[in-house]
Amino acid sequence: MRISKTLKTIAGLAGAMVLATGLSMGLAQAASKVAVITPYLAQPGTQFYVEGFKAAAEKNGWETNIVDTAGDVAAVISRLEDAVNQKVDAIVINVDPQQVAAGLEVAREAGIPVVGMDSGSDPLLATNVTSNGYAMAAETAVYVANRIGGKGRVVMFVFDAFPPVQIRGVVADAIFGNFPDIEIVDRVTPDVQDGGIADSRAKMEAILAANPDKGSIAAVWAAWDQPALGALQAIEDAGRSDEGIVIVGMDANPQARDAIGTGGNFEASMAQDFIGIGNKAAEMVGRLLKGETIREPVVYVPTTLVTSSNVADLD
Amino acid sequence: MISLFKRYGTLVGFIAIVAFFWFNLPDTFMTARNWLNISQQISMLAVVAFTMTFVMVMGDFDLSVGSMASLSGITAALLFSQGYPVAAGVAAALAMGILGGFFNGFLVSILGILPFVATLGTLTMFSGLAFWLSDGKTIFGRDIPKTFSGFARGGVDIELAGTLALKIPYLSILALLVLAAVWLVLEQTSFGRRLYAIGGNYEAARLAGVKVRRLRMAAFALTGFGAAIGGLMYASRVASANPTQGSGLMLDAIAAVFLGMTMSEEGEPRVLATLVGVLILGVLDNGLTQMSVDSYIREILVGAIILTAVASSSVGKFRR
Repeated sequence: MRISKTLKTIAGLAGAMVLATGLSMGLAQAASKVAVITPYLAQPGTQFYVEGFKAAAEKNGWETNIVDTAGDVAAVISRLEDAVNQKVDAIVINVDPQQVAAGLEVAREAGIPVVGMDSGSDPLLATNVTSNGYAMAAETAVYVANRIGGKGRVVMFVFDAFPPVQIRGVVADAIFGNFPDIEIVDRVTPDVQDGGIADSRAKMEAILAANPDKGSIAAVWAAWDQPALGALQAIEDAGRSDEGIVIVGMDANPQARDAIGTGGNFEASMAQDFIGIGNKAAEMVGRLLKGETIREPVVYVPTTLVTSSNVADLD
Repeated sequence: MISLFKRYGTLVGFIAIVAFFWFNLPDTFMTARNWLNISQQISMLAVVAFTMTFVMVMGDFDLSVGSMASLSGITAALLFSQGYPVAAGVAAALAMGILGGFFNGFLVSILGILPFVATLGTLTMFSGLAFWLSDGKTIFGRDIPKTFSGFARGGVDIELAGTLALKIPYLSILALLVLAAVWLVLEQTSFGRRLYAIGGNYEAARLAGVKVRRLRMAAFALTGFGAAIGGLMYASRVASANPTQGSGLMLDAIAAVFLGMTMSEEGEPRVLATLVGVLILGVLDNGLTQMSVDSYIREILVGAIILTAVASSSVGKFRR
């Protein structure tokens, strides 16, 4: 009685696994095998990268295996080892390469190219596909400078402790510095523990209180959207939204798009093309599979300036 | 015969899983290289699960091991970033593990708080402490000394016929050493036998003169110590420390011990059986990845297998 039960259990397990195998193997016939490994599949950005990559991979007839380690970075190393052992033709990662260097070294030894999707550049990667933070910052900073006619006092929200955001601040500094009549009122680093909106709002309220005259603040340049949203709330609450203070953010998150769409002070942000990053990563994999080497350690995918004129067209 | 089969059902299941992967992945699964990979991949979970066995032997469990593992990694990395030598960082992290474990033991055994509640509380405390110490940031790069991160990438080279044949990873060796130590303590010392006595019947053990409070505290301290070792291994493997990185270890460690418990006659945890539990989890992850099974289907399968194993042994018990 019990023997048959145990046997049934085992048979059931085996059956379930055969089914799973069948599902995955039915797709593949000697196609190139590509493993996409990330701990961050639950995050919207990563989902779009992966979606873009999968679409392109399907066109090329590759067998893609998407592996999500649910936040576990060490498991990314394990899955890299497994993928190498499985002799995949290429690997795509969306995780800090420094943290998974142990796995990337195994791939390098086996001669399997690894492409990063917005993962930071690293000598162990064939290339990294991402958005150009320098270019994005230049575009919003120039937008501000042009809108205020190259003249006026600007509040900056920066975050130099986080390298991808730090480079945005550097570029904005350079551009504002190039306009002799633009004065930086303050270069604020908000506390981001609450997401950045609340503290940015408090900081902006203080700055508004210290600069009560109409026109004493011409613009707010924020290195990402949350401080821009906080500044917008502060300006609206202080009853100063009719002064024409220009606010710009970056990343064009849904809340920022909403604000831009109303045509108020929050005028512009930058949208990254996440699907495009996935597509481009697939293009890079395709080149590597053909045996090409990619000279650029970082490949940039164009970004779009979002204003009230085009915000409705973005999905 | 029947009880033999019931007892070894999980082991047979494990062998069936291995055979299944061997059959489906003829070239890459049953190779020394892959098994060394698996041994390295499971080493952190293994250490946490082996030492979790200490408290589970007494019928307790410890939910705080995952956040203790994170806290231990953060402690070491913080000291590294301030220029302290590797040994100092490692020692401080291990001390943190023992202290945290004693604190768990104190709550459970002296204050009499249920282990579920006590360790749920310390889970949150340790995690908060890790966030507070690290400012919520990942510590990586130059702050992590090469000697520390190199440990997880190194191993003992084994030469065959003059050529480099295999490298046994240090992480795997460390896990084996912990296994040996836990086995010795639990199975070969009176300390271990008393822990089993407490698990069998707490009151009887106490009346028989077993110093239950002290032993319970010691067992929790050992579990905390093991969590700290696991956390250091994890930090070494990813060459960085993050205040949440160990959190996945807790449920897997408890699952591994439960899987192992289905193999013993009285349903008590045995550390060698815990090893089989860890191996089942590790082999499933490895094999299913190699077979390109979707990671979400993989999770469903792993959960189903744990439930089947535990259910099949508890159904038997219910009949009895």
